Amino acid sequence: MPLLKDEDQQFLREEFARKLAGPVKIVFFTQALDCMFCQPTEQIIRELLPLSDKLSLETHNFAPESEEAKRYGVDKIPAIVLAGKKDYGVKFYGIPAGFEFSTLVADILDVSRGETSFSPDARDKVRAIAKPVDIQVFVSPTCPYCPPAVRLAHMAAIENGLISAAMVESTEFQHLAHKYNVMGVPRTIMNETISLEGAPPEQLFVEKLLEAAQ
Amino acid sequence: MVDSQKYDIVVIGGGPAGLTAGLYAGRGGLRAAVVEKLMPGGLVANTERIDNYPGFPEGISGSDLAQKMQAQAAKFGAQFVSDEAMTIAAEPKSFIVTLASRAQLKAKALIIASGAYPRTLGVPGEKELLGKGVSYCAVCDGAFFRGQEVAVVGGGDSAVQEAVYLAGLCSKVTVIHRRSSLRAAESLQRVAFKNGKISFSWNKTVVAITGDKQVEGLRVMDKENMKEDVLPVSGVFIYVGYHPNSAVVKDLVRLDENGYIITDENLMSSAPGIFAAGDVRRKLVRQISGAVGDAATAAVAAQQYIENL
Repeated sequence: MPLLKDEDQQFLREEFARKLAGPVKIVFFTQALDCMFCQPTEQIIRELLPLSDKLSLETHNFAPESEEAKRYGVDKIPAIVLAGKKDYGVKFYGIPAGFEFSTLVADILDVSRGETSFSPDARDKVRAIAKPVDIQVFVSPTCPYCPPAVRLAHMAAIENGLISAAMVESTEFQHLAHKYNVMGVPRTIMNETISLEGAPPEQLFVEKLLEAAQ
Repeated sequence: MVDSQKYDIVVIGGGPAGLTAGLYAGRGGLRAAVVEKLMPGGLVANTERIDNYPGFPEGISGSDLAQKMQAQAAKFGAQFVSDEAMTIAAEPKSFIVTLASRAQLKAKALIIASGAYPRTLGVPGEKELLGKGVSYCAVCDGAFFRGQEVAVVGGGDSAVQEAVYLAGLCSKVTVIHRRSSLRAAESLQRVAFKNGKISFSWNKTVVAITGDKQVEGLRVMDKENMKEDVLPVSGVFIYVGYHPNSAVVKDLVRLDENGYIITDENLMSSAPGIFAAGDVRRKLVRQISGAVGDAATAAVAAQQYIENL
């Protein structure tokens, strides 16, 4: 049974036709066994793909193709990397379902343009960061406050090549949720040292990012 | 991103009131934008189950209802702006809404449907342990407390509804309420009282939330004998009412003593051209069905206002 209803498909088709500037390659890391959410994640991608000819899919087997995984910095599955003119370091670990589906769509639009909706001030600050920052945003699919937190992280990755950012679906990666003491979502971890609870306003997010980059 | 665009109506807030205002404005042939900083649906989106919205006899999840409302508004041409309204400037016969991204929207009329945000308890430990066991969203965070004991603070619809949801995940749910009876709807109360995992702690107030790295318990005080007790829990979900999100219009319209926007029978505020709908408005009952009704009135009244400009 399709996940996307006819009217949703139609809406997305029009949205992509209007707003997709350049091609977006969806790089998907999966494996056949021992990955409960790989198949449903693939279904989401396969339903998105025909909605615009600017979208393409590149699928990799996680274990046998570990070189590719290394190249994209992917260390667990299911993983989605969105690449436009280049690999911006925009990743999703776990299924982008529920509220996170909207994050996936908004990210695809940003990656296609290589631009984000940061305010000019925030954008300048993010672009000026000169040290690598790795961002993980823990979410659950039923959390309406999570997409804005993931979006900020992914936008930062798009604006600055030294920043990479991943959505991490907490229920699929419980060992990580446990490791980072996640008991509420969204929870943003920057470079393992800085953490942020909830959906931060842009300004606070950028402040923390600058702190993480020191 | 929509930049410096001109609209007939700009709706601030994308919950049920905002989405319905978008729907009516769009159907009325007006150019309408709905500005929402989080996800469409507002507070509804974090409600696990809604049983009192007409038309859904089996109940419906908050996120499903929000999506349906958004799709319906989109169908009639309402545009969605994912951003936050920071300031509103009144000009002759128009308003300029400046968003967090610095983009500006110009409108002939505004509908403020910005809703309300959860009230905090204001006790020690609450801020410090946010995301470490303190939560205001059971559907977001409930899964982290699977098989554990949690508390819900409050006695209204949200508190009881979410206690029932949490009872499906947690080993024990204690509802702490400052009165001796619930304010929640009878039918919700019946479901909760029948649930063997839910117990009630009456006439108690939470004095502090304790724990170092995460919530370990609550200090609760009995309002009758002033005796303090400790309730060991690993999570606490707080549903003690709401504050209106009216800051963006506080200098433009009359608010009541609690910050709710005061409106006339056509839901116009004290400022001509600024209307209010839903939870942000001063009224007796705050329900989705009421928000939707408000929005229909506000959108039609706003259209008449524009036509008479």
